[in-house]
Amino acid sequence: MIAMFRAVLYSEWKWSRLVVALGTVAAFAIPLVSLQGAARADRGALQAQELLRSVQSWGTLYPLLATALGLLMAIAAWAPDHRGRHIHALTLPLERWRYVLLRFGAGFVLLAAPIAAVLIGSSLAVLTATLPPGLQAYPIALAVRFAFAVLVAYAVFFAVSSGTARTAGIILGVIAAVILVQVVASIANIDLNLFGAAQTVLLLGPGPLAVFTGRWMLVDV
Amino acid sequence: MSDAIQIERLHYRAGKNFAIKELDLHVPSGSIYGFLGPNGSGKTTTIRLILGLLRPLSGRITVLGLPMPEQHARILGRIGYVPEQPHLDATLTVRELIDFQAAFYPRWDRARAEELVQRFELDGERLFGRLSKGQKAKLMILLALAQCGDLLVLDEPTDGLDPVVRRDILSALVSYVSERDATIFISSHLVHELERVCDWVAVMDDGRLITEAPMERLKHGTKRLVVIGAPAEIVNPPFRVLTRESANGGGAGENWVVGDWEPAMTSYFEGVGASVRDVIDLDLEDGFVELLRSFRKGETRR
Amino acid sequence: MSRLLGLVLAVSLLPSPLRSQDSLVVRLRRQADSLLGTWREAQLLADVADSLEQVRATAGSDTIAVGGLRIIVNPSPLPWREAAEHAWPVIDSLYGSAAEDLSRHPYIFRAVDPDSGVRRTVLHVGVELPWDLDVRATATLLLTTVNAPRFDAALADWLGSGLRPTLHPQSERAAVFVQLLTVPSEAVRACFLGDIAHCKDVLQLGDSIGLLERWYATPAEREALVASSFTDYFARGATAPSLQNCRQHRDDACTSLLQSLPPGSLPRPLAHAARILLVREALRAGGRDAYRRLVARPSAPIRERLASAAGMDIDSLVARWRNAALAARPKPLTLPWWAGFAAIGWTAFFGLCALRSSRWRL
Repeated sequence: MIAMFRAVLYSEWKWSRLVVALGTVAAFAIPLVSLQGAARADRGALQAQELLRSVQSWGTLYPLLATALGLLMAIAAWAPDHRGRHIHALTLPLERWRYVLLRFGAGFVLLAAPIAAVLIGSSLAVLTATLPPGLQAYPIALAVRFAFAVLVAYAVFFAVSSGTARTAGIILGVIAAVILVQVVASIANIDLNLFGAAQTVLLLGPGPLAVFTGRWMLVDV
Repeated sequence: MSDAIQIERLHYRAGKNFAIKELDLHVPSGSIYGFLGPNGSGKTTTIRLILGLLRPLSGRITVLGLPMPEQHARILGRIGYVPEQPHLDATLTVRELIDFQAAFYPRWDRARAEELVQRFELDGERLFGRLSKGQKAKLMILLALAQCGDLLVLDEPTDGLDPVVRRDILSALVSYVSERDATIFISSHLVHELERVCDWVAVMDDGRLITEAPMERLKHGTKRLVVIGAPAEIVNPPFRVLTRESANGGGAGENWVVGDWEPAMTSYFEGVGASVRDVIDLDLEDGFVELLRSFRKGETRR
Repeated sequence: MSRLLGLVLAVSLLPSPLRSQDSLVVRLRRQADSLLGTWREAQLLADVADSLEQVRATAGSDTIAVGGLRIIVNPSPLPWREAAEHAWPVIDSLYGSAAEDLSRHPYIFRAVDPDSGVRRTVLHVGVELPWDLDVRATATLLLTTVNAPRFDAALADWLGSGLRPTLHPQSERAAVFVQLLTVPSEAVRACFLGDIAHCKDVLQLGDSIGLLERWYATPAEREALVASSFTDYFARGATAPSLQNCRQHRDDACTSLLQSLPPGSLPRPLAHAARILLVREALRAGGRDAYRRLVARPSAPIRERLASAAGMDIDSLVARWRNAALAARPKPLTLPWWAGFAAIGWTAFFGLCALRSSRWRL
């Protein structure tokens, strides 16, 4: 099994190395860039507000990067198999679910690089910056949150990508049905807010996308 | 275990217009089994059913003594498969594909793989996507052979290849069979090629198996007869009548194409007041064509 | 002789402008008195109208009494008693013994059906509200509409808002903490770091001389203040050139612009939440009669009123206020404890969906 995993990992690395490399560079750079003004002590009392503003606006890139990495890695995991119509994968001598698990796991291993880059980049940024009094840095919390976001995004897109065209059609059909019902309800003046309900379920509390929402702050009060 | 592949009363439907019905097929172990049929007859579908890529509606498939698809992982570990279209990752090199495949097969023979790389003159660092058609076919054969499987399933492996490549591939297959007691299941519509290597042959058309017999019997048992004075109805002939039509240019004679013919069967015609003026040998291709014609006319079923 | 005559003539003429000036003053004084009288009459009429309106508004209504609260309402499904029982302890804790005076100023509410389209008379006295509010919303309404007893204009002016109880004191303190850290003012930062004198400055507990230099000590702060709050205000007319100069980092231009603002317009470095927190701390420290002491002398300086209410010197009160704010540091932005489990759970769920896809199932 280890040999199989190594083989799958190598092939997946070959397909996705550009994505991993670029994602790692971006993940390393964002924290450094977001704190680039922090070392400037000459801004005095203005520093705190400016710093928090900079960190908050750059912080919006973390969930975007996590989503992009998840999507691209999921595509890279399956694209060659899709091209060969999965014949090669389906004729390998192991249970199919094991093969899917090998692919899933290989993606996780490769995504460790950008996650580590966030941790290293944010730690480096904090160490080299002079923070105004009272502000605290949260490099580990940021890296952990980024890790969760990347993994959830990867899992979602991996599931969609490993499904059949019929599955994708069902998903699109459900979305279309929700939109249609909402439009009809609006026309009929019925008080029905499916989008709001969907937003609540997906984005709030323990929903799958909850980890993406909110402010991503490397530095905060 | 007497049959490497055993298919019993198999039913499969693909869409509205194509179905495999009541398919019974037996591939003896150690044989080179040719699976003939025109395009669209269901050869590739049958192969996919054998490999567990498709699920039948009913019927039973046993491969190397194990039920498919229930034991598909164990079975596939003993099968080398070469599909009709290249199915490997175009972004991996020859060497990388060999290494990838080796990781999945415990019986992988590195020495054989290396030897075949040299024999097929493959560049290990070349990407699969940049190989020529013949090189791709050779690599797929290499991977199937290096797995040291008990069964090779080859779906039109030499289709579209030049004669040199075809010869290389066929000789590698023959070498493999001679070294190991493996079974080869090879589908093709190139009759002459199968004629040279196969010892069993089955013919399929429109999802149905027309015939399944040892190659010698099919080849030598199919004849064209020039018959004089045969009655309109014949009862219980010892041979199979594939076609019967008037001879060209008038005269009292008829052209019969028969299968399972033996020389002693001329006495049957004497018994019904007819005579056989000529017995003409048909090669496998002619026999194949006549079989298809008769099947499609619905004149004969066995 | 002629000189004497001229002198006599001059002396005789001297009182005439003074006399005409005197008659103008008298005229103006009479007009003012007349206006004052008219205003007093109007006030009386207004009071009569208000009291008539009050009688009309409260006719047929119920009166709910909880503690010092008197709530006059029309019959409705609203949970007034429950809400009042929630609100009264909070009100009492703020105003102390003065809360009993609230019985002289009842709430007047009219609950209406929010789904009804029936036209109704305009309510001039009291508050109209929908009758589908829950207990919490009703209690919040009581807290936000209570009239602080004997709340004088000087205190309101200094606070910048009313003084009302809150259901979320911790949020208020946390907001003050954030201000202490982030407001672009060296004085506020010095206050955060423990300089009580600067804290008194930014809370405007001293005199009002030189507030600009004390609140915004550096040229960068003054420029930032002009840029963030007064760009539109100074962009036109005679101040436009000075605005340009200020943008080019000329502090004299920035200073002159800010000094030209009307009195009381200079933005306070700390928002009113900080001052309200100071008052709340004073009232908490001073016991039940603290509020009465706070409003006892409207003309006294704010620092003395607060010290009197708290029963301690102003430096100690400000230190207490600072400690309360620092103790209310908001929770750090780490993930909640369940977020990790949720993320792992969803990852596993979607992974399972991938495994169970029909392509990968036999």
